[in-house]
Amino acid sequence: MSDRTDPASIVEDELIRYLADRRMTRREMLRRVTALGAAVALAPVVAACNAAASIAPTVAPASTAAGSASSVPSATPSATPSPTPVPSPEGELFVYNWDGYIGENTVSDFEKAHNIKVKYDKFPDADTQMTKLRSDSKGGGYDVSYPASTEIPALIADGVLLKLDKSLIPNVSNLRPDWANPSYDPGNQYSLPNYWWTTGYAWDPAKVPGALTDWTALWDATYKGHMGMLDDQREVFAVAAFRLGLSPNTTNEAELDQIVQLLEQQKPLLRKYTDDDIGDVTSGDLWISHAWSGDWYQMTTDKPKTQYVVPASGAVRGNDTLVVLSGAPHPIAAQLWLDFNLDAKVSAANTNYIGYMGPNAAAEQYVDDTIKGDPRLNPPQAVLDKLVELLFLSPADLDKYTKRWNALRA
Amino acid sequence: MDRGNRWLSAFAVVVYAFLFAPIVVLIIFSFNASRRNFVWLGFTTEWYPRLFANHDLLDALGVTLQVAAIAVVGSTILGSLLGLGLARLRFRGSGATETLILLPMVTPEIIMGISLLIFFSQLFGLNGSIGQIAIAHVTFCISYVAVTVRARAAGMDPRLEEAARDLGADAWGAFWHVTLPLIAPAVAAGAMLAFALSFDDLVITSFNTGVGSTTLPVAIYSAIKLGVSPQINAISTIIVAVVSIALFIAWRLGAFRPAPASLAIEDAPAS
Amino acid sequence: MTGPSVPAELLPAPAELRRTIAQASLRERLAGLVFVVPGVVWLALFFLAPLVIILVVSLGSRDAAGHVTLANPDLRNYLQATRPEYLPAFANSLRYAAITTILSIAIGYPIAYWISRYGGQRKVLLLILVMLPFWTSYLIRTYAWMIILRDNGVLNSLLQATGLTGEPIVLLNTDFSVVLGMTYGFLPYAILPMYVSIDRLDRHLVEAGRDLYGSGRATFRHVTLPLTMPGIIAAAILTFIPAIGDYVTPDLLGGAQTTTIAKIVQVIFTSGRDWPYGSALGFLLMVVTLGGTLIALRTLRREVLA
Repeated sequence: MSDRTDPASIVEDELIRYLADRRMTRREMLRRVTALGAAVALAPVVAACNAAASIAPTVAPASTAAGSASSVPSATPSATPSPTPVPSPEGELFVYNWDGYIGENTVSDFEKAHNIKVKYDKFPDADTQMTKLRSDSKGGGYDVSYPASTEIPALIADGVLLKLDKSLIPNVSNLRPDWANPSYDPGNQYSLPNYWWTTGYAWDPAKVPGALTDWTALWDATYKGHMGMLDDQREVFAVAAFRLGLSPNTTNEAELDQIVQLLEQQKPLLRKYTDDDIGDVTSGDLWISHAWSGDWYQMTTDKPKTQYVVPASGAVRGNDTLVVLSGAPHPIAAQLWLDFNLDAKVSAANTNYIGYMGPNAAAEQYVDDTIKGDPRLNPPQAVLDKLVELLFLSPADLDKYTKRWNALRA
Repeated sequence: MDRGNRWLSAFAVVVYAFLFAPIVVLIIFSFNASRRNFVWLGFTTEWYPRLFANHDLLDALGVTLQVAAIAVVGSTILGSLLGLGLARLRFRGSGATETLILLPMVTPEIIMGISLLIFFSQLFGLNGSIGQIAIAHVTFCISYVAVTVRARAAGMDPRLEEAARDLGADAWGAFWHVTLPLIAPAVAAGAMLAFALSFDDLVITSFNTGVGSTTLPVAIYSAIKLGVSPQINAISTIIVAVVSIALFIAWRLGAFRPAPASLAIEDAPAS
Repeated sequence: MTGPSVPAELLPAPAELRRTIAQASLRERLAGLVFVVPGVVWLALFFLAPLVIILVVSLGSRDAAGHVTLANPDLRNYLQATRPEYLPAFANSLRYAAITTILSIAIGYPIAYWISRYGGQRKVLLLILVMLPFWTSYLIRTYAWMIILRDNGVLNSLLQATGLTGEPIVLLNTDFSVVLGMTYGFLPYAILPMYVSIDRLDRHLVEAGRDLYGSGRATFRHVTLPLTMPGIIAAAILTFIPAIGDYVTPDLLGGAQTTTIAKIVQVIFTSGRDWPYGSALGFLLMVVTLGGTLIALRTLRREVLA
């Protein structure tokens, strides 16, 4: 920012900068400004709220069917102009990701390899990420981000993602064949798989003796006040669903009531619903905690004896993705970033740092044996077959969860 | 009174200890050998050199300080005027103005954050920047300054300004030489509150950051999942050290002469 | 307090007086505009205008794809927001905010009084010291409290080392840790306005009070306390209102049984992705808080003036 620090001039600068930007003409700017006030014209404003967008993968991308939203610019993929590929990449790249989610040297190695300056911003949670990426329906000014796979169909439908130019991403051939056609994005046209994980639970064997294998341990009154569940409604509901032999994607009201009933029994035994499972377990506050596989891997660096299990009665499996946003200011550099992260050694370095397995066949030879050889981080096929992915729910179905989750928490 | 004074002083020591206990702990943990900083794993000084190589964190501090500077100046001016106006003057709409001042304080942070995000993003096509964060911060700091200044100005003797006028001062002179010095402590207190609010805000800011405008609280909160690196303790330690030394020097140089303590007429500065 | 009586012959003639008063009141009104307009315009532009957008959203609903639509605007979100199952969370918020406010004033008033009366040349320094912890980030201070309060944390280690307890006491993730964290966070918001109010107090009035009442306690009750009431009210506003809406402290220091209404609003917006409903609940919360505050203010002012 320049040395002009009074807010009004900064706003002015931003406006000028933005108007100069090719993505918004003065006319469109005026149209939007004059839109303020008129009730009809509130539609584009309100459409901003499509952070709330949630669309089941099976729903056709007729997302703008609601008449009031039809004036939203580029709300469908077809309306999104694909960039004309320029031969040389841009000098900058804006990445929006979790903190500590890639290898320690990935950014500096990329900067050196391509002579591109990376601006790397972090978000505190996936909801902030989605709100930001959807605020202008084209990525909030970023080039690359890492959404969960479940978000992808809705992001594609709403025109937030750029269709990838695979000629810029030759390393896509490193992907394992079983990742070539994921249900959320057939053919990986808009996204590339990044990491995958399981959700099980971790415990401290010094406090909790014995080999735990099932979810029932999280209802064991012996450890009252020392147990934690993740602060994530879908993951928590899934645990109770597995215990009851129900689908973690159920939308049946009676089944959901059964699930909540079981969770109501658990709540008085819990110390907290945690966002901070790594810290709570390593510090000794939680003896047993619902946890993601990579989080457990992080726990073992400070508390090596910590155990983890993917319960036999079923568990959640998830993955996230690498995407380029439709409004990316630097689309070529962005796709170079994707390619770079699919490189065998870079991908392995990322996995070795965070402890989440990647879908990269070529990288496996470089992945640490402590990760690759550990069935808890890299489960055998028999376990994988039993894992269930959480599906995206329609707004009405998601409400059934949120309503019950809030009632449980309050 | 002396005995009361002693009890009060002892109580004050306890309260100051309470205020500084976490600061002492965070300073100690800036020397922790654990990357995640949940448990003490041994002594190291490695985080300080690593901090100076960590541009992300230093940039975040820079953004935070820039935003705070704008927020403090902007909200202190606007808020002080509002507080003074409400306390001293009767005008049509003062009730509505008072309600308007309370409104930002009662607005849930997430609503304010999201409303500003929609406002800037949809109407102006802005994607978050230092300026956008600063505007948001000025907005929520104004109320705190106004309430603080109003508390001091309420019941301030209006005859003081009149006396100044009688002595030949014009309206501006009376304001500058009489009113302002009298409310100065409240203006300073309001500015300090505004700084604290701006420096610490997380929820509203996280919706208004953009490329390269991550603030320190957003950076810290983003780091919570993997454990906050001792580098963040190190940066806090350095800030506290720098501010303490600056304060000490300023104090030795006599920068903090007590502000006018009383509003009794005989104490008011002559115009 | 009444002004000194003025000999009648020094007063201006009634007509002249009326004119002067009229001029003065006009001038005062204009001056009022000068003082108030910049802040009001700023708040109208950057607070009210964005808020109106959210108000409109709160009347809408979501279509099948999750986009907000205003096709059938109605009040259903508001009706839904008054569900009784959120009452425990609302009660938690009220309880935490009330205890935090009382503690902040009970602790902050003596400190503000001490700085003002006995600070001497170090007054401003002592005041700035109150604010010094704020130069570290709020989150990092909260994490420091977590380090102090954990089962194997600093406080439990001290208690066990001194033999006061054998087993760790659970301090973190309880009502205690939430109230402690909030009081810690809001204490300076209480100290500063009370300080500026106490510091304004005319020493001579206190002395006169001592002559009149004799005891220090009575003087405090009849002179000091009423005259510093504006500061106490300001402190109460600056702690209670933000404490009601505080989401971060209870989330970090609280546990499974300490959910607040601000957390519920947050969940509806984020995990629930229901902006219309979240907005409605948020507005309802605002109206209740604002109404309560205004009523409390009116009552307090009347009491103080009486």
